[in-house]
Amino acid sequence: MTEDLRHRAPPAGPKPMDRADFVFSIVLTAFGVGVIVESLRLPRLENLDVNPYTVPGIVPGILGIALALCGLALLIRSTARGGWRVGIGGTLAAGAGRAPAFRRVTVTLVLTFAYALLMFGNMPFWLATALFVFAFVVATERMMPDRRATWRSIAGAAVLAVACGVAVGFVFEELFYVRLPG
Amino acid sequence: MEGLLSFLAAIVEIATSAAIVDVIWATLLGIVVGMMPGLTATLGVALMTTLTFDMEGQRAILILICMYVGAIYGGSRSAILLNIPGTPANAATSLDGYPLAREGKAGSAMAVATTGSFVGGMIGMMALAVVAPALADFALGFGAYEFFWLAVFGVVVAGQLTALDDPIKGWIAGFLGLFVATVGQEGIHAIPRFAYGSTDLAGGIGLLPAMVGAFGFAEILSVMRQEAYTVVRSRMDSVWSGLKSAFGYKVTAVRSGLIGTFMGLIPGVGEDMGAWASYAAARQASGEKEKFGKGSLEGLVAAETGNNAAVPGALIPVLTLAVPGSAPAAVLLAAMIIHGIRPGPLIMIEFPDFVFSVVAMVFMATCAMAVLGLLLTRPLLLVLKVRRERLMPVIFVLCTVGAFAISSRMFDVWIMLAFGVLGFILREMKYPMAPLILGIVLGDILDKSLRRGLVLSDGDLTPFFTRPISIVLWGSLVLLVILSMPAVRGFVARRARRWRRGEAGP
Repeated sequence: MTEDLRHRAPPAGPKPMDRADFVFSIVLTAFGVGVIVESLRLPRLENLDVNPYTVPGIVPGILGIALALCGLALLIRSTARGGWRVGIGGTLAAGAGRAPAFRRVTVTLVLTFAYALLMFGNMPFWLATALFVFAFVVATERMMPDRRATWRSIAGAAVLAVACGVAVGFVFEELFYVRLPG
Repeated sequence: MEGLLSFLAAIVEIATSAAIVDVIWATLLGIVVGMMPGLTATLGVALMTTLTFDMEGQRAILILICMYVGAIYGGSRSAILLNIPGTPANAATSLDGYPLAREGKAGSAMAVATTGSFVGGMIGMMALAVVAPALADFALGFGAYEFFWLAVFGVVVAGQLTALDDPIKGWIAGFLGLFVATVGQEGIHAIPRFAYGSTDLAGGIGLLPAMVGAFGFAEILSVMRQEAYTVVRSRMDSVWSGLKSAFGYKVTAVRSGLIGTFMGLIPGVGEDMGAWASYAAARQASGEKEKFGKGSLEGLVAAETGNNAAVPGALIPVLTLAVPGSAPAAVLLAAMIIHGIRPGPLIMIEFPDFVFSVVAMVFMATCAMAVLGLLLTRPLLLVLKVRRERLMPVIFVLCTVGAFAISSRMFDVWIMLAFGVLGFILREMKYPMAPLILGIVLGDILDKSLRRGLVLSDGDLTPFFTRPISIVLWGSLVLLVILSMPAVRGFVARRARRWRRGEAGP
């Protein structure tokens, strides 16, 4: 009913999505098989004389089969659509067109992981947060083609960073009694 | 009559001055969250759950419902003014809302959206009051067999309806969610599954950190991947003139309210399908079909009524079956359990007043949404001027602290990061997130129900297929799966075309 409103018919021929489906289907099938194997290795508790229908591996095993079957169905479909033929060159060419987007996502990933894994919990919360927010704002605003880093924008980022570190820490620790690490 | 009295009693009990203050700030915050592209209702409710952790249960649930109602409505503002739905539920709103804004009718569009949302919320609320007690009564007859099929049905239907053009991707997302739920100690013999010696993994993967990752961090990555947005710059007409126009579409509003409520009721489907289905039905029935997508007030009414009606609709299965109707409703379900309320078929026996308390909360939130939405039209526009480069790091800080705050362990922060990256990759490959989350919620029900059912029947599968409700559930499932196969769909479409030609011919 709503199909025509939400999606347009895809053009004929292999597309980067078919390639992604092809790769993901192999990963998913392997994952499904792995889940089946690991489910079979789960304890069956025969020594405890438990009802065999309650063994812990039964549901994960069925889910492993379902995932492997879905992976196979996706593999057959993406192969039929020529997903395996879209080479790495094609994928890279498609990616190059979105280079600024790729750079923004990479910077976001690096900064967020650095904050959550290295800074959060290893230094005072307000300082870690202020450093992260400041770095994020300055780094991503510099990537915008229509914006230049001015002293005013950098000062604004610094004020936001310190305010965020202090305010979030205050709200969680003083109002909601959450003990933050660091 | 008894229901009305229970509702009035609940209003009197809840509407203290402190609660009214809570309703105002939480609904306003919800509207702001919904308005900001990149912040969804699910994220808002999930983060607010971590903040209201220590509050008294009824107060916390009131705040969460206000956040939910406000966010679904707030998304219409960015859909109208930016052509970017603030939440996925407002995607249909942008089809007609943005063209209206470009014509200088942004004020009318916002007034129509507000009226539609209010009507939708009220219709959904009435359905919640009428259907929930009856459904809870009916569900008392559910056993392990029915709950098993209900869990499978929820995941498969959510997968089917949230990935209309490619149901297999929706099902894969659902099965992955169900698998995630099996990680950790299982509920019958307390054997850790897929933990590999890790005590953190043996404790299981928490729903809230996973949701904050899949709907928060993944959304941050998606927003940063897209180009920056700009607010439409045109003259804005008066909000009040739009109110008059909205009353011209009473039939559309009522129909959309009913469709939206029904879509909300279906497990995992939620507000966005409520809006799309209402929009499609309105276009089908309209005498001005050609205006749809070019600035139709009727289309806008349908979309906004449909999505807000789905909010109370999604709460019906939460309260009566412990099965969420949408992703934000899944968080609400988790929050209710955290606060000692046990949703499910026994709710009318164990917590007889709670269902009507929720009805009263929806009523208060819907009224606050309408009043705040109309009075603060211009001040709220300032929210859209916040640049994403400045907003996203603050949101990430809240995601990190929110994930950590639930049980004060770093493992939950890692889960948030992992689900964020996984969610981003899956979204880029057009896998819907709602079935994944529904799978995590329903995994435990499915696991225990299947094994208990097998024990009760001594390994005989017959009761799974012969009990009346089970027959309806598995029969619908088989039909759904068969009809989603491309070959079958093609055959049905060809037959329908031939039949229509035969009917139109001499």
